[in-house]
Amino acid sequence: MDFAIAMGIVFGLAAIGSGIGMGLIVGRTIEGTARQPELRGSLMGLMFLGVGLVDALPIIAVVIGFMLMGKALA
Amino acid sequence: MAEHLVPRVTIFGMVFDLAAILTMAIVSLIVFFLIYFATRNMTSRTPQGLQNFLEWVIDFVRGIAGQLMESKVAERYVGLGLTLFLYIFISNQIGLFGNIVTVHEHPSALLGITSQAIEAAKAHGQQGVTVSWWKSPTATISVPLALAFLVLFYSHWLGLRRSVRGYAKSYVNPHWLMLPLNLVEELSKFLSFPLRLYGNIFAGEVLLWVLLPTIVHGGISAVLSVPLLAWIGYSIFVGAIQAFIFTMLTMVYISHRVVSHDPAH
Repeated sequence: MDFAIAMGIVFGLAAIGSGIGMGLIVGRTIEGTARQPELRGSLMGLMFLGVGLVDALPIIAVVIGFMLMGKALA
Repeated sequence: MAEHLVPRVTIFGMVFDLAAILTMAIVSLIVFFLIYFATRNMTSRTPQGLQNFLEWVIDFVRGIAGQLMESKVAERYVGLGLTLFLYIFISNQIGLFGNIVTVHEHPSALLGITSQAIEAAKAHGQQGVTVSWWKSPTATISVPLALAFLVLFYSHWLGLRRSVRGYAKSYVNPHWLMLPLNLVEELSKFLSFPLRLYGNIFAGEVLLWVLLPTIVHGGISAVLSVPLLAWIGYSIFVGAIQAFIFTMLTMVYISHRVVSHDPAH
């Protein structure tokens, strides 16, 4: 039971941090595109790269959470 | 959550994941025959069908490499990038199509099924231990680790071959006080690079297993299976993005070693 709460904290904190980061990335990309629409293509590529890099951290937290859960339940 | 076992065989203390080996072989064959049939009947006039597709993929990889290196240098690594991109992309998608599951009622020493596990499964109302024979190869930690180590050792080898002095100098750049930081940066690549791919695909597959009972026990209320379908759609997107990022980072790490940032050279 208390383990479920711990998992919730792990997943939730990971989601908050990466959510802020991704919001900044996408927001700035939209700002840049609004200023210079002709750069849309290259900005999109950079945005997806940045989103993918940020994406890794919460996912690693989730995987480690699942591994700990498997260990605790076994 | 649907309980399932991964078929594992232990030989001399090494664990072999049979499902991953099976799907790795299938993915390799798919990539091989895709390229084989795309390069038959090639024409320098208006390209058709698969040739169009392959030219588009090669241009895509060439674009990634070309952003970071001169086109003459970049051309050397297009083959590596293309192989990695196609292999990882198809690996990521192959686990989403379906699953092959066997149910074992008798203990099997070969697959590591014990009688306790069967009794535990029967206590949950199942016939026996469920073994899953289908998954994305990239959802096994050893496959992304192998791919990432291949790329990283290759990039270090390229740097050493270019100039041993320049390679050693890159660790004390811009000052020798930065040596510990540079070492940690290099070593952390060996963890973050494979774990990025593995984590995304593995978490995707775990969530698929979590969402699967919604469709099995949902009966006629198809609304319950909407999250599963949405997650499969998102997984297709994530698989494509991760293949792109792996190829991009491959080119970034290689370009760090083969492009001189020093204007004196």
